[in-house]
Amino acid sequence: MDRLTLVLWIFDSVTGLGLLLLAGWALASPQLFRGIILFVAFSLMMSIAWVRIDAPDVALAEIAIGAGLTGALLLAALSRLGDSEPTQESMNRPIERSYRARTFRSLTASLLAAVAVALVFLILALPGDSEGLGAEVAASLDASGVSSPVTAVLLNFRGYDTLLELLVLLLALLGVWSLGGLPAQPVSPAVLVLDTLARILIPVLLLSSAYLLWAGTHAPGGAFQAGAVLGAAGVLLSLAGWQVRQRYTGVTLRLLLIAGPSLFLAFALYTIVAGQSLLEYPPQRAGVMIVLLEVAATLSIGTTLAALFVAEGPRNKEGQ
Amino acid sequence: MEALAATVSWDACLIVLPLLGAIACFAWPNAAKKLALGTALAVLVSIASLTIRVTAAGAFRHAVGAWGAPLGIELLVDGLSLVMLSATAIVGLAITIYSAGYFKADVSSRFWPLWLFLWASLNALFLSSDIFNLYVALELTGLAAVTLTALAGSADALTAAARYLLVSLLGSLTYLLGVALVYHGFGSVDMAVLAGRVESTPVFWAAFSLMFVGLALKTALFPFHFWLPPAHASAPAPVSAALSGLVIKASFYILMRLWFEIVPADYSTFTNFLGVLGAAAVVWGGLQALRAKRLKLLIAYSTIMQVGYLFLAFPLAVAAAWRGALYLILSHALAKSAMFLAAGNILYCAGHDRIESLDRIAQRLPMSLAAFAVAGVSIMGLPPSGGFIAKWLMVEAALKSGQWWWAVTLVLGSLFAAAYVFKVVGYAFTQAEAPHTSIDVPAAMEWAALALAVAAVLMGLIAPWILASMEIGRAFPGAAIP
Repeated sequence: MDRLTLVLWIFDSVTGLGLLLLAGWALASPQLFRGIILFVAFSLMMSIAWVRIDAPDVALAEIAIGAGLTGALLLAALSRLGDSEPTQESMNRPIERSYRARTFRSLTASLLAAVAVALVFLILALPGDSEGLGAEVAASLDASGVSSPVTAVLLNFRGYDTLLELLVLLLALLGVWSLGGLPAQPVSPAVLVLDTLARILIPVLLLSSAYLLWAGTHAPGGAFQAGAVLGAAGVLLSLAGWQVRQRYTGVTLRLLLIAGPSLFLAFALYTIVAGQSLLEYPPQRAGVMIVLLEVAATLSIGTTLAALFVAEGPRNKEGQ
Repeated sequence: MEALAATVSWDACLIVLPLLGAIACFAWPNAAKKLALGTALAVLVSIASLTIRVTAAGAFRHAVGAWGAPLGIELLVDGLSLVMLSATAIVGLAITIYSAGYFKADVSSRFWPLWLFLWASLNALFLSSDIFNLYVALELTGLAAVTLTALAGSADALTAAARYLLVSLLGSLTYLLGVALVYHGFGSVDMAVLAGRVESTPVFWAAFSLMFVGLALKTALFPFHFWLPPAHASAPAPVSAALSGLVIKASFYILMRLWFEIVPADYSTFTNFLGVLGAAAVVWGGLQALRAKRLKLLIAYSTIMQVGYLFLAFPLAVAAAWRGALYLILSHALAKSAMFLAAGNILYCAGHDRIESLDRIAQRLPMSLAAFAVAGVSIMGLPPSGGFIAKWLMVEAALKSGQWWWAVTLVLGSLFAAAYVFKVVGYAFTQAEAPHTSIDVPAAMEWAALALAVAAVLMGLIAPWILASMEIGRAFPGAAIP
C-alpha cells in the first residue's frame, strides 16, 4: 500500500465515522438548536464524502442546499416556534418526552438500525462495477448541446424530471403561503457588521451564482446550485434588514417565481403543438435553449428559496 | 384543425395543460376560478381525444425528448393508464365544479393552483413508465395533497396534515431507496427495460421490499393506515374527495405496475400475507366506520376498507381478480368522492357532521342525501353499480381458484358497508324537535355530488365497454377476456 492510498484510506475512514457520529449526535440531541447545528455539520461532511466518490455536482448541491439553505430554514423555523422572541433559554430548552414516546423512539431506532445493517450487507454484496447508464449518456452527449454529462441528463435526457422538480419547489412555497405564511418579523436596524458583510458578500454571491450557472454547461454546476447561491444572497439581504419595496412584491415577485417553470412549460407546449415528442430539443439549438432555460430556472429557484426563508404571507412579503 | 388534432400528443397535454393552468392561477389569482374551469374542460377534451386514439390504434409509448429508454423517460398509454386517467378526469371535473362554490374568496385563490398541480401530478404519474419519474410525480402528488389538507386551517387539519406530510415523505424516500438499488443492480429505471433484465436476486427483493413498504404506507394499507382517517376527515370536502378517490390510488397504481411488469414470479406466501393484511383492513375499517361519530370520519374508515379489497387481488392472482380490482378503483373513485362531496354539503349546510344530529337533512338537502345513498349502493356492491361488477369479478375469481375464504371477506365487507350506510341514512330521516339554523348550499355543489354517485352506479351498465378498454395493451397478467 503506497503512502497516498494510506492517507486517503485514513481520510475516508475519518469521514465515514464522522458522518455516523454527527448523524447520531444530531438525532440524539435534546436541544433543537444544537441538533440543527449538528445537522449542518453533517451536511458539510457529507459534501466531502460526495467529492470523494466523484460526485462534485451532488457535493455542490449538498453544501448550498443541504448545509446552507436547509440550515437557515431550520434556524428560521426554530426562532419562530415560540410566540415571543427566541431567547437563549428557549433555544436550549430540552424536549420533554413521556415514557410511551421514549419506548416508541427506541423501537423505531432498533427497526431502523436493523434495516441499516441489512442494507449495508446488501450493498457489500452488490457488484462494484455497475456502469449504470454512463455509456449511453456518453454516446449521446454530443447531441445534447452541452458537454457536462450531469447537465445533459438534467436538462435534456431527463429534462421532464427537472421540470417536475422545479414545480415541487414552487409547490413548497405555495404550501407555506397557503398556510398564511408567517407574520412579518420586526425589521431590526441593520447591525453594522452584518450590513458591511452583506455589502461585501452579495456581489461575490451574485458572481458565484453566475459562474456556477455558466459552468454548468461543461463542468460541475448548473441551475440548482446557482439558484441556491442566489437564494443565499436573498437570505443574507433579508437578515441584514433589507426589504423589497411593496410595489415589487406583487406581480413582479410572482413573475420571477414562475419564470423558470413557465419557460419550460412554454417549450413543452410548443413541442406538443408542433407534433414533436414532448420537450424535444432541436439538436443544433439545444445548447442555447438549455442555457436560456437554466437562466430562468436559476432566477426562479433563487427567488423561491429566498421567499421560503422569509416565509411571509403573500400580502406583505419580501423577495429579493 | 383536424390535422392538428391528429398530430397533437394528447397524453402530454394531460400533464402540460393543468400545469400551465396551475401557474396561471398562481400568477393571476383574481381570475383563478375561470382559469381552473377552463383548464378542467381542456383536460376533458384531451382525455376524450386520447381515449378515441387509443381505442382505435391501441396502446403506445411516448419517448419524452425523443431519446427513448433507457436514456430518456418514456410515457406509456395503455388500458390500465387510460382507466386511471379517465377516473381522474371525471372526478377532477366534479371537484372543480364543486369547489367553485365551496371555497370562500381568500382560501379559493390558494386552492386553485394547488388543486391543478395535484391533478397534473396524478396525470403525470398514471402516464409514466419510468420508476424514477414515478418518484418525482409521487412527491409532487404527496406535497400537493398535504398542502390541500392543511387548507382547512383548523387545529385538527393542521395536525393531520403535518402527520400526513411526514408519512408521505417517509413513503416516497423509502420508495426512492428501492429505485436507487434497482438502478444500481440492473442499470435502468425504465419499466419495460427492467422487465427484460430483472432476476430474482437478493438485491431485487430488497429493493422491491423497500418500494413496497413506501407505497403501502402511501396507500394506507392496514396497519399503515393510521394517518388516513384524521387527514381525510379534516380536509376540506373537495380535497377529501380527491384524497380518498384518487391520491391513495396513485401509489397502488405504481405497485400494480411493478407487480405486473417487473416482479419476476408470484410468491404465494407473500401474496397470501398481502391478502391477510387486506382482509384485516376490511374488518378493521368496517368496525371503525360503524363506531365513527362523525360522517366524514365514517367515510374515511370506509376508504381503509376499500383499500383492503384491492390487496385481495394479489393472492387471487388471476386476470379476473385484477380486472375486478381495477374496476373497484374506478367505481370507488366515483362513489367515494360523491360521498365526501355530499358530506361536504351537509357540513356546509348544518355546520357540523355529527351522525346522530343529522336529523332533517333529508328535508333540507334531499339531493345530497340521495347522492350519499346512491354512492352507498356502489360502495356496498349492489347491482347494477360499478362496485357490484368489481366484487362479482373478485368473488368469481376466488371461487374459481378455490380460495373461498377471500370471497367470504368480500361478502363480509359488503355487510359492513350496508350497516354503516344505513346507519347514516337512518339518522338523516329522523325528525328533529327544534328547527336548526342552516345555510343554503349552491346548486352546483349538490349536482356535482349526485352526478358522481349516479355515474358510479351507471358504470355497472357499461361494464363490457370498460372491461374491453382495460384490455388495451394487455397490461394484466393472464388471459384476455373471452
